[in-house]
Amino acid sequence: MNRWRTFFDRLIVLIVILAAWQVGSFLVGAYFFPSPGAVALRFVAQVWNGELIRHGGYTIEEALIGTLVGGVPAVLLPFLLRRQPLLVAILDPFMVGGYGAPKLAFAPLFILWFGIGIESKIALVASVVFFIVYFNTLSGVRALDPKLVQMAQLAGAGERHVARHIVLPAAVPHILAGFRIAVPYAIGGAIIAELISSNRGLGYLVQTGAMNFDTTSVFAAILMATLIVLAANWLLNTAERMLLHWRPPADAMLDPGN
Amino acid sequence: MGDAPLLEIKGLGKRFPGRLGREPSPWVIQDLSFSVRAGEFLTIIGPSGAGKSTLLNMIAQIDTVSAGEIVFNGETVKSHDARTLRPGFDRRIGYVTQDDNLLPWRTTVENVLFPIEVQGRLNDATRAHADTLIRAVGLAGFERYYPHELSGGMRKRAALIRTLAYDPPVILMDEPFAAVDAQTRTQLQADLLKLWDIGRKTIIFVTHDIAEAIALGDRALVLSRQPTRIAAEHAIPIPRPRNVQDMLAVDGFAVIYQRIRAAIQ
Repeated sequence: MNRWRTFFDRLIVLIVILAAWQVGSFLVGAYFFPSPGAVALRFVAQVWNGELIRHGGYTIEEALIGTLVGGVPAVLLPFLLRRQPLLVAILDPFMVGGYGAPKLAFAPLFILWFGIGIESKIALVASVVFFIVYFNTLSGVRALDPKLVQMAQLAGAGERHVARHIVLPAAVPHILAGFRIAVPYAIGGAIIAELISSNRGLGYLVQTGAMNFDTTSVFAAILMATLIVLAANWLLNTAERMLLHWRPPADAMLDPGN
Repeated sequence: MGDAPLLEIKGLGKRFPGRLGREPSPWVIQDLSFSVRAGEFLTIIGPSGAGKSTLLNMIAQIDTVSAGEIVFNGETVKSHDARTLRPGFDRRIGYVTQDDNLLPWRTTVENVLFPIEVQGRLNDATRAHADTLIRAVGLAGFERYYPHELSGGMRKRAALIRTLAYDPPVILMDEPFAAVDAQTRTQLQADLLKLWDIGRKTIIFVTHDIAEAIALGDRALVLSRQPTRIAAEHAIPIPRPRNVQDMLAVDGFAVIYQRIRAAIQ
């Protein structure tokens, strides 16, 4: 019952947003600010002729490879450094600096270094994803209850057992949270790099749309990017449900059943 | 087995190292000596803050000693340096701590089997043994439950049989039943005695509850306040098997209780 209630309430919020959009479009003028109906029609048409699918797929590919290239070392590093607190402390200011530096400003450099192909997009996405996932994984490794490690050692567990059976499962919620935060940045990073220089991808569609004063196509590409992020989020939620089924039921605030 | 002690504590002392520019702490434990025979159930009673956990941590080799030595089965333990500590002394010393320390991502049976799994001894016989223990303490039907789905008493039982399942010759217990209600505690004590009657392990059981120390032990040591020393030692000649529920009515219980009570003052 409550599930349906949530669904209908969300529907109402969606209708309010679309109505506001429609009013805005009417006031500003459809030429600069196309109506939701026009965007929906263009979106369907461009999905139908394969344009949005092709360019969206290209952006997904960049974001996915970049997330792996940045995310895998970001997960491994805190595990390797777990027994080296001094090294972590030495690296810390540089990691914080890397996290804080505006990676999007590196996009032109990456294009100079890696060319206008997929490599420069992967580099940008990886540089954004790496620091987010690194700090989340590190906090997961640090939040570990030392008593659980002690219990395992008393039972005869070696370093490898501790890493595999204690540290990793305890860190998984933090790792997943890191990727959840990183996903919109990964898609966004790929699109920014495409905007600057590319002949493919959603960023390219946005760029050409804007150059041709075709705002409807710009909105259609942005809609596609948003849907990709939502789908990625849904995938991560599913992965989390499967990996973390041992956890007590989540926060009541996030549970529409309550 | 004979009467040769399995575990000897000789002149044990502990003080914690000082932080930068500060003296080490005063002696928490000083000149503490006792021994345990194989198969003996020794209880240690001490007031809160008497260094009971510190004592067990040193025996379990998760904390260093500052003075004296620990001899296990004739072998002197290298326990003055944190780097030579061997937690659990190669699986020969089991430790049931105050917190159950169950792994939240493992079910009851997976938690019970955890030590056996990391020791590479998972087979049909060890699985069957763990299964027997699970049934003996009334956890049958809860094998596939996660710790957060169990009651406090059930978690204690799971933690207890996790240590019993891998069969270390010596088991240390640090007030394992302190955090549960009186009724559950009596049941857990009965479970423990039943399991001990089957296996006859060497147990060192620390508690602040005099009645518990008498109900369970062959012998009770009373600790003094800091620096902790042995204040008194009492044999508990109550025959076994014992019925924990009727302890108060047993001949001699009141006398022993009075004597220990007096020693603690």
